[in-house]
Amino acid sequence: MALTCDIGTRIELVPMDSHCNDITVALYKQPPSDAPVYRIHTYSQHPDAQERIGSLSADMQVLGGMQQADDGLLRFPCGHAHQYAARRLFLDACKRDPSETAQAHPLQIHDKKSACDIAVDSLGDGQYCVRAEQGTQGVERRTATIARGLIRLGEMEGADDDANRLHFACGHAHDALIALLLRRAPNVRAAMREAEEMASRGQLVAPSAQN
Amino acid sequence: MSEHPPSMNSRERVLAALNRQPVDRTPLCNPTSVATVELMDLVDAPFPDANRKPELMARLAATGYTELGFDTIMPVFSIIQESAALGCKIQWEQKDNWPTVRMNEPIWTSPDDINVPADLCTHPDTRCVTDAIKILRKEYGDEVAVIGKTMGPWSLGYHCFGVEPFLLMSLDDPGKTKLCLDRMKEITVEYGLAQIEAGADALTLPDHATGDLVSGEYYERYLRDLHIEMAERLPVPIILHICGRTVDRMEYIAQTGMAAFHFDSKNTPMESMEIVKERIALVGNINNPETLFSKGPEVVREEVYRNLDAGVQLVGPECAIPLQTSIENLKEIPRAVRDWHAGYDR
Amino acid sequence: MAEIGDIANEFIRDEIDEFLEKENERNHIVELFAQTRPLLQDIAAALIDGAHEEVDQLTQQALSEGIEALEIMDDGLIAGMGIVGIKFRDNFIFVPEVLACARAMKAGMAHIEPILSDSGVEPIGTVVMGTVKGDLHDIGKNLCIMMLRGAGFVVHDLGVDTSEDEFIEAIEEHGAKLLGMSALLTTTMPNMGKTIEAFIDEDLRDDIKIMVGGAPVTPEFAEDMGADGYGKDALSCVELAKELLSE
Repeated sequence: MALTCDIGTRIELVPMDSHCNDITVALYKQPPSDAPVYRIHTYSQHPDAQERIGSLSADMQVLGGMQQADDGLLRFPCGHAHQYAARRLFLDACKRDPSETAQAHPLQIHDKKSACDIAVDSLGDGQYCVRAEQGTQGVERRTATIARGLIRLGEMEGADDDANRLHFACGHAHDALIALLLRRAPNVRAAMREAEEMASRGQLVAPSAQN
Repeated sequence: MSEHPPSMNSRERVLAALNRQPVDRTPLCNPTSVATVELMDLVDAPFPDANRKPELMARLAATGYTELGFDTIMPVFSIIQESAALGCKIQWEQKDNWPTVRMNEPIWTSPDDINVPADLCTHPDTRCVTDAIKILRKEYGDEVAVIGKTMGPWSLGYHCFGVEPFLLMSLDDPGKTKLCLDRMKEITVEYGLAQIEAGADALTLPDHATGDLVSGEYYERYLRDLHIEMAERLPVPIILHICGRTVDRMEYIAQTGMAAFHFDSKNTPMESMEIVKERIALVGNINNPETLFSKGPEVVREEVYRNLDAGVQLVGPECAIPLQTSIENLKEIPRAVRDWHAGYDR
Repeated sequence: MAEIGDIANEFIRDEIDEFLEKENERNHIVELFAQTRPLLQDIAAALIDGAHEEVDQLTQQALSEGIEALEIMDDGLIAGMGIVGIKFRDNFIFVPEVLACARAMKAGMAHIEPILSDSGVEPIGTVVMGTVKGDLHDIGKNLCIMMLRGAGFVVHDLGVDTSEDEFIEAIEEHGAKLLGMSALLTTTMPNMGKTIEAFIDEDLRDDIKIMVGGAPVTPEFAEDMGADGYGKDALSCVELAKELLSE
């Protein structure tokens, strides 16, 4: 009798969880497709394995704003998949030191390249705006690049008339998730290449206006 | 396919296909590893220990049959056993990676250095395999095909001489190279015989004269005749494995008398079948890095169908699967084969 | 416009006729060699033939005749490797032949490098290359390095099993602007992403460009990991390096 089970589509895998005896942990997405839920799973029978699963689940709720569904599963409050972001959230949860209490990140980072603090304003209904706290030279390009990075990481949409505005298609706020993704947004290579290409053409066009 | 015989068990099916006899359905065959990190957790048999302890090796290898539904069990996950016994330095790595030979620290430079040690088959790392085969034979009897693995002389050349020195030697001094290969082939045969004695039904013989590195003419010049000899000396079906683009050497491979060729996804099933023309069975050739590792079950299914439509006799991944491959992708392979035979979605 | 008959060395003419199928490449190579001194054409021909002893001897002869080291390197050695790269890309030759040509290049450069180094001539770029942690395969990386050196880059080879810290230290030590990572196993590919994240964590990511390659690596994977470019083979690695360093 097989011991493996059909638990959905595997979204991400951590082959060796260094915080729990190198067990393998994975994030699975389960149907229905219009209201998917996520399961954190390990096949390991190590005595600490289930506690670790519980701890990762709790962290994903704090760090990314997920909530617990039935049977220990996780979902976003809006009921949508946000799959790419869920992967990133899972990886960050696995990476962090479990001896420290998980806390949601602030909606602000210091951007070394522009020597400026970059904040993201939550405007409600899943709408966000990237803003520089200081007006240093070149910072407009930087906020637009970071916005583009968030769009890619969060599978979001941009605004036609404002390079710094973006929103989730689900129309719901996901502040904790944005704050998590903000840490990576300045380094999304594709976003940076687009910014460089547009700068060389001398135009700053909103992401959705590009093909 | 000719008229289906009555229902066969896994072992019967695999051996029939390797002998190009009628089968009840296309067998699912893994001449190379199907170990994954999740399966390691499932049976508590992680790398590197599963490469060094026979009980763990057997337990992990068996999941290919018990969990995934393949018709074979192949317990030799890596390609380092003989080289370890010969004295090569091995980097054993951890659970999430393969053990590998430190080819930058070669142990031989000339034919005179080549030595088949008395303990070739009793060295802990080679013996681990023969012990694992015995465990599997005892556990599963004749219900499943147990496949061993013995490295060919070209691959041993890479391991023991270093890749670049060996390839330069093949250009600078073909006579010396042939002498080296002829001596190293005895290692292949001796270790293969030990696994047959332990109970192996067939042997995978990896010999990496791949199109990514050397020409098809090289295969004919250096290896074809050796492979013919090895096929004659090893009294079980031999599955030759060469990675990469190999259509330019399949004609020569088909002349070797080996039972099957395990072919890479860089060669399409149709073009490969046309070249070998039923002189040798084909095993494969589901892509690893893009399909099994990165895509979903629907793409796996397409590749299975492509192989079956072309008449490939045994279906499986193209090479040792990435350790992070998802179980659902692996399980899709037997599902797709069964559905194809049931006339599903064609 | 130069014609193939303007090239003195018969072997080079034959190589061009037989192996250069793309018109723009052929025209460029013909133009190049038509302006090259006959002795340097002979060096290129010997390199393409993998005759390392002849390259060694002819390079010394060229230097003794007063030809500048830079000219010998560019018009003899690098020009010869240009044809080797094309032949390899188009599967006319395979790795053993490339290794022989690289050995010939090395034999010539043994005389050239000390001179260029003393005169402070800048290379066209400095690259740090390595196979990632846990991966001991290096033939692909080494072929890229041969091609890069053959194109005039200075390459610091970190070898195999290279950790994130080792990559970072090498970039800082050599002031390189380009990092190349290779992986042959799907199990080690993720270490490319980890290395890139290490550069981000050290606030060094914006100071360099990163290219990746290796049999299981794909352009999609490279983008997902945060690399700047993907090199599908040794020859395209050279073009990619030039492109990334010009940005």
